[in-house]
Amino acid sequence: MDQQMMTILRQAISNVLETMFFLPVQIVEDNSMRDNWLQSKKLWHVAVRFNGPVSGSFFLLVPAKMVREITANFLGLDETEVEPGQEADTVKEALNMIGGYVLSQVEKADDFQIGLPEIVGSGQADLCRLQLEPHNTVMVETDEDHLAVGIDRD
Amino acid sequence: MAFNVLIVDDSSTMRSVIKKIIKVSGFDVGNFMEAGDGLEALEVLQRDWVDLVLSDINMPNMNGLELIGKMAEDEMLKSIPVVMVSTEGSEEKIEKSKALGAAGYIKKPFLPEDIKVALCNIMGEEIQDGPTDDDDSETGDF
Repeated sequence: MDQQMMTILRQAISNVLETMFFLPVQIVEDNSMRDNWLQSKKLWHVAVRFNGPVSGSFFLLVPAKMVREITANFLGLDETEVEPGQEADTVKEALNMIGGYVLSQVEKADDFQIGLPEIVGSGQADLCRLQLEPHNTVMVETDEDHLAVGIDRD
Repeated sequence: MAFNVLIVDDSSTMRSVIKKIIKVSGFDVGNFMEAGDGLEALEVLQRDWVDLVLSDINMPNMNGLELIGKMAEDEMLKSIPVVMVSTEGSEEKIEKSKALGAAGYIKKPFLPEDIKVALCNIMGEEIQDGPTDDDDSETGDF
């Protein structure tokens, strides 16, 4: 099931980010840039828990500058008009949609429940616990930067 | 005739996005009302005249399925059409929504056209462009 979820996760990322946030994305197969990216950026960390035949959390790591961009895109605003509360709300909604998409497509979809997304942090410290490996993390390239989406299984 | 719309979602940005889409779709909306969960929505419904509810499912305090269950028990509210707008798109959730009385279901992520089509189907609204026939749509009335 893990592999199936990761396959669907890739579809979900493109579907959600391109449809709702007007953010062209490309999945990065070569993860060699990941560590540098993690250490050099101020990242927002969002998570949403899910329970079912397998349980864990979906997570989203997105650079602060991109948070502003996708919020502006989502709301149809100029980036200068975006307010801080709108940024948190938008990234939570983005992960909620990605996670919800995965759980609606996976085998035994009816047995899964998704929780409420939350901002885990926006610094480096909270990232230490996450295991970011190719088998559970999808690195995504956008026009100007990268973001990461993954599944942190219990 | 203008109709009043209540948008129920714990994400204020999602409420704004849905409101903008409805506005630009050409519907004649009198008032937009908003609620952050099912409990707040019931307060609005008891207080104000609402013609249509668009509601998320996954919300704190009272979720969207509980909301339509409560509305179905109330003589004054049970005839108000409710469209679910949710990421939870499994067949069981859609069927459960239908069984509880939902008039339609829009799956997130959605295109602006999905909202327009669902509202046209449910409210019978004649708009200039009219809805499109999209066989791949994840959206519609029941």
